[in-house]
Amino acid sequence: MGNRLAIVWALLVLAVGVHQVRFWRSARLETDILALLPEDEQAPEVGAATRKLADESGRQLVLLVGAPDWESAQRAAEAATEALSKAGAPLEPARVDATALDAAVEFYRPYRDRLLTPAQRAWLARATSEELGGTALMKLYQPAGPRLTDWSDDPLGLWPDWWAARAAENEARPRDGRLWLSGEGREWVLLTWQSQVSAFALGDDAKVTAAVERARAAVAAIPGGRLVAAGVPLYAEAAASQASREISTIGLGSLVAVLLLVWLTFRSLRPIVLVGVSLMIGCAVALSVTALLFDRVHLLTLVFGASLVGVAEDYGFHYFAARQGKPAAERGRVMRFLLPGMLLALLTSVVAYLALGLAPFPGLRQMAVFAAAGLVGAFLTVLCWFPTFDLGDLPVTAFAERVSASLLRWPRITSEKRWWPAMAGLLVVIAGGLWRLETRDDIRQLQGAPANLLEDQRELGRLLGLPSPAQLFLVEGGDEEQVLQREVPLKQRLDALVADGVLTGYRAVSDWLPPASQQRADAELSARAEQQAVAAVAAATGEEPSRARFANDVLTPARFLSSPAAPAIRQQWLGPLGSKQYSVLMLRGLEGPAVLARLAEAAHGLEGVRWVDKTEEISRLMGRYRRLMGGLIVAGYLAVLVMLLARFKREAWRAWVPSALGTLLTLAFFGWVGEPLQLFTVLGLLLLLGMGVDYGIFLLEHPGDGSAWVAVALAGVSTLLSFGLLGLSATPALRTFGLAMLLGEVAIWILTPCFRMPPGKDIT
Amino acid sequence: MKRLLALACVLLCTTASASELLTGVRSRLADPSILRGQFEQKKTVAGFKKPLLSRGEFLLSRGKGLLWDTRAPFASTLTLTRKSLSAEQKTGGAAYHLDASREPALAAMNEFLFALLSGDVGSLSTRFRIEGELVGADGWRLTLTPTDEGLARVFRGIRLEGDRFVRQVQLEETSGDSSLIQFTQLAQTPPPSATETERLGK
Repeated sequence: MGNRLAIVWALLVLAVGVHQVRFWRSARLETDILALLPEDEQAPEVGAATRKLADESGRQLVLLVGAPDWESAQRAAEAATEALSKAGAPLEPARVDATALDAAVEFYRPYRDRLLTPAQRAWLARATSEELGGTALMKLYQPAGPRLTDWSDDPLGLWPDWWAARAAENEARPRDGRLWLSGEGREWVLLTWQSQVSAFALGDDAKVTAAVERARAAVAAIPGGRLVAAGVPLYAEAAASQASREISTIGLGSLVAVLLLVWLTFRSLRPIVLVGVSLMIGCAVALSVTALLFDRVHLLTLVFGASLVGVAEDYGFHYFAARQGKPAAERGRVMRFLLPGMLLALLTSVVAYLALGLAPFPGLRQMAVFAAAGLVGAFLTVLCWFPTFDLGDLPVTAFAERVSASLLRWPRITSEKRWWPAMAGLLVVIAGGLWRLETRDDIRQLQGAPANLLEDQRELGRLLGLPSPAQLFLVEGGDEEQVLQREVPLKQRLDALVADGVLTGYRAVSDWLPPASQQRADAELSARAEQQAVAAVAAATGEEPSRARFANDVLTPARFLSSPAAPAIRQQWLGPLGSKQYSVLMLRGLEGPAVLARLAEAAHGLEGVRWVDKTEEISRLMGRYRRLMGGLIVAGYLAVLVMLLARFKREAWRAWVPSALGTLLTLAFFGWVGEPLQLFTVLGLLLLLGMGVDYGIFLLEHPGDGSAWVAVALAGVSTLLSFGLLGLSATPALRTFGLAMLLGEVAIWILTPCFRMPPGKDIT
Repeated sequence: MKRLLALACVLLCTTASASELLTGVRSRLADPSILRGQFEQKKTVAGFKKPLLSRGEFLLSRGKGLLWDTRAPFASTLTLTRKSLSAEQKTGGAAYHLDASREPALAAMNEFLFALLSGDVGSLSTRFRIEGELVGADGWRLTLTPTDEGLARVFRGIRLEGDRFVRQVQLEETSGDSSLIQFTQLAQTPPPSATETERLGK
């Protein structure tokens, strides 16, 4: 029976091994912090919009190279370009292609007459025929100037203005064959590069970052030179190297600690090897199951998963602690004796982990699945393999005996009067802490990005006037034309805000592709005005110039989207999602959160227009889930109590109260030190519920059994180590999670034996 | 790589002879801080059978700007400074204005026109391939082919002729239009009047 189980499990482990090899070859690891962000089930199109905006820039690297004057800025740009193109960097320059602009101009040419700026529209409507004629004459006689067409194609010179308005959506301007901008005391050259590898491929050793640093050094050699860089590849590499650092400190740190504890307790190689094997298999199973259920495994899942070591070793500890000092022949019986308690402990832990996955955070779901699968894997290894491979004797060591004996000296809370003041004191501490507890639901907890990257990103955004990816308007319509039409009144309101200085500008699809109704109206307006202008010029020159002919039909979305003009704005055209069509209107030059309320107001009363403040939305979502998960903890404690009652009847409280007290003490501690309560703290407490009860279960299952206490003591110390190390993580979310787990574990671990059964009593 | 080397050689060679030419032209040109005179412009435009003739006067002030006042066939003024370009027709109320602080291309155009009208060959040679010859005792003739991408979009080529001053400019636009501008009565005096100074300050 035991052997057959071992063989079945061996086959499964083999399958996992094969899968692991394939997984690490294809390296489907995700480092994108955005992948951790929640899907908002109330507004999937908002999520789709943000994803689309993010996808477009996945490989892009934007650099500004600045110097006090244009000459040295150009030299600095050359130095940076040389450094970036050196062999070894997986980068290529994304050319700002002049032919692309030519192609866009050619594409628009037949529709030139219906592309007007609001100012032109107003002028053409009110100008007298004298004024129109005069302007046309001036443009005709002007020595030379920037023109895009023959005079007769654009007698009033409207088109360059329209292009200038499009160009104004971006601060950079062509100058001497480069893209130039001026600001913050420097002249800057804009360079755009592209990573040749996906930002999410593993094992490229931060090559992009290294190349950018080389370029930074080269630029710094020029007096007053400065390089500012931003891009998803840099974030991805920073996240990857941080994660791999943390995986090794947390994972290896707790593994070494666990194995050391095993050695101290058992003084034998067999437990070390077997516990080590159970941990490795647990991790491999966790990774394989996660990879099978999700397309990509997030690096933070691995960081979090590294702390799994501290929990998954419990089963092995229990087995060996119970097995110590017993003849080898009895190991099957030991396993059967332990099984009910271990199963119940596994069940509570797995349920707690899976409850993490109720939050709509893709990253959390992965972590939940990863942890639950890992625990099951480690448990099954202990169950199926330990009795088969653990053949020799295992004498009781002096260390284990000392630990085991310490249980007898551990204080035990009774209803005696001397415990009342202590209890009252504890309650005051808890109540006071809870009273002071604050909450915070800030998206910044998710960002573990290095400060210098964020600073560069901000400076770049300021200089370039880049549109904000977090605040935007989402425009919805029954068809494409309706979407474009609905942008028009919104733009009018925004124009007023631009005039007030609330923002510097915006980018809207309908500026590149006006609604058909507007195209028809503008074509009519410009035809009337230009005919008057041409007639005036004919009268003045005695010649017979004629106005050019333009396309008869309107410019349709289908034709626009497949044109060379579309890339400039395509990311903002979401197209159909469900039965509706969507576009995004992006804002430039938002200074501080104070103006957001006025922008939100701009959408009021406009049908199909929605203000999206992603930062605020995610924070609100995190707040909502913090409360939901908080409720879930209360419900979870009740459910666990029911489970415990079913097994332990009137003594169930002994396993339950320490966990509840530990949780409250952790909350109180956060309150006293002023650490705010966040979603991730709550998630840590949820997990605590699943694992903390384990200790109580084992002590109740085997009352007065020193070996159970040895196992609990070992489990407590190793869990403490692994979550303590998680508390060192540079990702704020993981740190607060680790801290909550650490405090709670310590409290529960100390409290549990205090609630053990009086000697001589038994639950059965 | 070989092609690159060959190209570099060609470039170096032309620079050598070109620099001789440029030194020659520069030594023949006066370098006035202001220049005023009459102009006559003959512009050939697609859709017009006869060349469009215009006449007027101009004032070029180094570092300040250019006033280009057309007198015939209609009165209009064009003011180009480092900061803006504005044009105005005396009758009919037609006017337009461009701000260089928003449109740097204008600043570049401005710099270019200064260089062109004052014959600043040093500055022109950064954006054009310059060929030409010295004529007689104090004349010269130059052909400019744009090397700068932005200018190449507008001009196919430019021909300049002059002696102490630039006497004639011929602009060949990529669209096929061309302008021949001749300057007469060139002088370095009188200094700008109060109204002219005010216009240049814009």
